[in-house]
Amino acid sequence: MKKHDLILAGMIICIVFIGFGGLKLYRAENNNEPRIAVITQDNVLVERIDLNAVEEPREITLPGPYHEILQVEKGRIRFKEADCPDQICVRRGWLQNPGDMAVCLPNKAIIRITGN
Amino acid sequence: MNYKNKKGFLLIMVIVFSFGFLAGCSSNSETPIEKQGFYMGTVVTEKAYGQNASQAVAEGMRRIKDLEDKMTVNAPGGEIAQLNVSAGNGAYVPLSSDSLYVLKSALKYGQLTQGTFDVTIGPLVQSWGSFKPNSKIPSPIEIDRIRELVNYRDLEFNEKENAVRLKNPGQMIDLGGIAKGYAGDEVIKIFKAYGIESAYVNLGGNVVVLGGKPDGSPWNVGIRNPRAQDGSSLGVLEIRDKTVVTSGDYERYFEEDGLRYHHILDPQTGYPAQSGLISVTVVSDTSMEADALSTAVFILGLAKGLELVQSMAGVDAILITEDREIYITSGLKESFTLTDQGGSYRYHEKT
Repeated sequence: MKKHDLILAGMIICIVFIGFGGLKLYRAENNNEPRIAVITQDNVLVERIDLNAVEEPREITLPGPYHEILQVEKGRIRFKEADCPDQICVRRGWLQNPGDMAVCLPNKAIIRITGN
Repeated sequence: MNYKNKKGFLLIMVIVFSFGFLAGCSSNSETPIEKQGFYMGTVVTEKAYGQNASQAVAEGMRRIKDLEDKMTVNAPGGEIAQLNVSAGNGAYVPLSSDSLYVLKSALKYGQLTQGTFDVTIGPLVQSWGSFKPNSKIPSPIEIDRIRELVNYRDLEFNEKENAVRLKNPGQMIDLGGIAKGYAGDEVIKIFKAYGIESAYVNLGGNVVVLGGKPDGSPWNVGIRNPRAQDGSSLGVLEIRDKTVVTSGDYERYFEEDGLRYHHILDPQTGYPAQSGLISVTVVSDTSMEADALSTAVFILGLAKGLELVQSMAGVDAILITEDREIYITSGLKESFTLTDQGGSYRYHEKT
């Protein structure tokens, strides 16, 4: 094998890796992965929200014994305020990726982000 | 290289390039089914892989609800609630096979732990309440009165009628220390019946795993740092086909005058256990056993707790003391990894 053959081979291998990496980067940047927020209170579905499709920020008041407000924005959701004793739900902050979850035990409220 | 070799070489490289490109578009051949519910006073998560995952997970949740309805003392009407209401009137209360089995097992654990695990602790649990902030501390007189009612030997079985009674008025069963474990085992049974090979169920920290992850690697279960404000973990257990159950003084508590009153009550004293331990994690093959033992070991303290664990085949534990020492039994040496960043915990392996 001649030197220029090795250089060509090396370039092609680099292109392979760039192609692989580039695609992954593209997917991450574009946030095309679905993110659906599922909100339940006492095992009853309150709302399913396609977070990627949210245009205007809005708020949701949850049912249940405790006064709780959720904040919904494009791509993310959180417990904004709650009058439960420990505030663990509020402290959890923003949820945005599939698998993220926040819970208010006293109010039996669960927000979970799912990919489907 | 001659012309022909170069062409073949180039062709191979193009094919490799294409694979690289396609690999970037990963497709999920194994998409899990995950479901959350609120049962037994906490969040329950089920996750399963496989063809029948959807049905298995749904049936698992229904089973947990079924067990909650039977065993809860926080709502009237369930059979355990009825058992409690009938205490001392002489009548035997017929129970489902689930409750009978759990009560029989509870008796066994009572004997094994010499009363440290005692499901007749109901009146004490009721007196202390929910451990919300600013809870009232029961008076010493009330605690003494109620302690008399706690005695697992007063649970009497009528084998012929599949019925049970509590001997004295005011006595109460509380299955809080064992129900989640039993439920976890029942969910795994359902998963297995559906041919599921990779799954887990988590009932508020009471974790049971089936197999390992679909790629063959073990499930990773985090062990919470008992004093971290953000609920972060201090270590990870890698497990397959095991259960991990933790009892800690950070789960349900209130503080008054600088003292922490937590939910793990010592049946002997009537007060939250002050054993020197702040967290106990039990790993075994049955979640019901791990659930009962984690409570008992917490109350027993380091020395007696380790003794109990070491006397039982197939049971291992992680015990964390108030002095920030972590003790781990030998069976977990390979599967536990300490991740404590601040180095505030000291780690010891026991035989």
